[in-house]
Amino acid sequence: MDTLEILNGIFRQVFDDDSLVVTRATSAKDIEEWDSLTHMNLVLAVETHFGIKVALGELRSLKNVGEMADLIARKRAK
Amino acid sequence: MLTHETLGNQFNIGHICTRQQCDAGLGDKVAMRWVSPAMERTDYTFRDLEHESNRFANVLSGLGFVPGEVFFTFLPKMTEQFFSFLGTLKTQVICGTLFANFGEEALLDRLGDSRAKGIITKKHFLKKLIRIRDRLPDLKYIILVDADEHGSDGVLSYSLLMAEASKSFETPETGPETPSVLHYTSGSTGKPKGVLHHHRSIISQNFTASEVLDLKTDDIFWCTADQGWVTGTSYGIIGPWSLGVTQVHFGGGYNPEEWFSLLEREGVTVWYSAPTALRMLMRESDDLYGKFDLSHLRHIYSVGEPLNPEVIHWSRRILGRDIYDTWFQTETGAIMICNRPGLEVRPGSMGTPITGIEPGILGDDGTPLAEDQQGNLCVRVGWPSMFATYLNNESAYQSKFRDGWYYTGDTARRDADGYYWFMGRSDDVINTAGHLLSPFEVESALLEIPEITESGVIGAPDELLYEKVVAFISLHEGVIYSKELELKIRLYISNKVSSIATPQEILVLERIPKNKSGKIMRRVLKATYLGTDVGDISTLEEH
Repeated sequence: MDTLEILNGIFRQVFDDDSLVVTRATSAKDIEEWDSLTHMNLVLAVETHFGIKVALGELRSLKNVGEMADLIARKRAK
Repeated sequence: MLTHETLGNQFNIGHICTRQQCDAGLGDKVAMRWVSPAMERTDYTFRDLEHESNRFANVLSGLGFVPGEVFFTFLPKMTEQFFSFLGTLKTQVICGTLFANFGEEALLDRLGDSRAKGIITKKHFLKKLIRIRDRLPDLKYIILVDADEHGSDGVLSYSLLMAEASKSFETPETGPETPSVLHYTSGSTGKPKGVLHHHRSIISQNFTASEVLDLKTDDIFWCTADQGWVTGTSYGIIGPWSLGVTQVHFGGGYNPEEWFSLLEREGVTVWYSAPTALRMLMRESDDLYGKFDLSHLRHIYSVGEPLNPEVIHWSRRILGRDIYDTWFQTETGAIMICNRPGLEVRPGSMGTPITGIEPGILGDDGTPLAEDQQGNLCVRVGWPSMFATYLNNESAYQSKFRDGWYYTGDTARRDADGYYWFMGRSDDVINTAGHLLSPFEVESALLEIPEITESGVIGAPDELLYEKVVAFISLHEGVIYSKELELKIRLYISNKVSSIATPQEILVLERIPKNKSGKIMRRVLKATYLGTDVGDISTLEEH
């Protein structure tokens, strides 16, 4: 399973929506519930699933899911 | 200015905000400048507002709604929110509004208690309603703003209903004591309570929009509050439109660049926001703000939780303006005590009472306290926007009043010059990012998680949110706290209750401190968390 597929599952879990499909272009503007508080849930979910540590600011600066997937890939490669 | 005399027999909020403005010659004036999340602009005149709200009134009438029944909006900020709110009020049906991030447990409490007959929402939120619908026997209709066709079980398409509805509607004469708006608010015990207002509230909302927000005919006003909360209805709809003032409404979320770009591009002259948002803006680089021309911006106001002096100093330095902090509650319906133009701002103070409002600082025995003494912040009863009851909970309503005073649940002091200073809550209600949250609601939801045996929730000071939610839990034997369990807890609360209820910190204790009658001793939890003296623990349950 590639990073984007795993992220899709994480987004479905975090936003409680089994029909959610994220692409590299998906951003906070595309998901109603994606606010600063659910963002923290997203950080925790990403850390838990991928076994990495992500600073809140690091994830906040990302423009879309594609950039998030790239960040995760970089962290996992270290 | 609206008064009992000028209103005569017609206090209807929907009518005054639309038809009355058209009758006053403002039909072609822009009432709402809608700015989409993509920053695209669409203008709606007062005539558009009148026609769209009339259509919605006809939709509800056609579905058999009658005065006194309850209809809810459950939408993010979007134009249909405003049309349906005003249209519902025109029919004398009570309009409740729900924060779009509420989870199904929060929805069940509110829709169930009010016995709501209908709700307007989006397809995206339908799943939450479907999961609880079998426990809501009174909920006959779910209107979807983005469905092209009617579905089964009373699920209806907004566009089809509106296309068939007439744009004409004669609002019935509506007396001052006719029920109007319903907002649920949190207490420290029990379920959220339905704060019911009457149409007479418009007198206070109109007066304060004029006298406090200083709104004039040519102003462009932007209130960032969500319509799920009282500020979003009192000042994001009623007050400004009752004065015929143009409002900007933005469908996007918090984004400093977009917000300031919007302030500049739309020529906003009066801006009403919240401390948490202002504190977030304060964290941005000062350079950001130099790019924008805000010369047209006359006033900035804040509401929701106390505005710390640092924000006012920042605003003076970077924006060249004061920020006027205002104080009111869901129950008061309109601003009661505030800073405002013409009054020297004392950073950190709530300001002074508005004309016609008599606050008091009273001891627990009802005795008025001397200057600078901290006590219960009370308001002499009888202001026009005073709430009418807690729906289905008259005893809780009566408990808020004593000897002609309304006890707000806040504590404050008054200085020698008549300025009021907020000191805290007299109960355990948590104020996080301007939203009042019941610890009981979060504790109850935590107990639904199988791994948790006991829970206690407190608000703890937070630089950004004013207070953050801190949850104490104890776990079943053999359960080990892990990152996976933390995630499970956070997501459960976020999705079942609300994102704002999500604990920012979760701490595991062997036992949750309770008194001998089993009540959670939150003050002990708070003292433990803050490292302060726990005080008298003689009533603590022994193990």
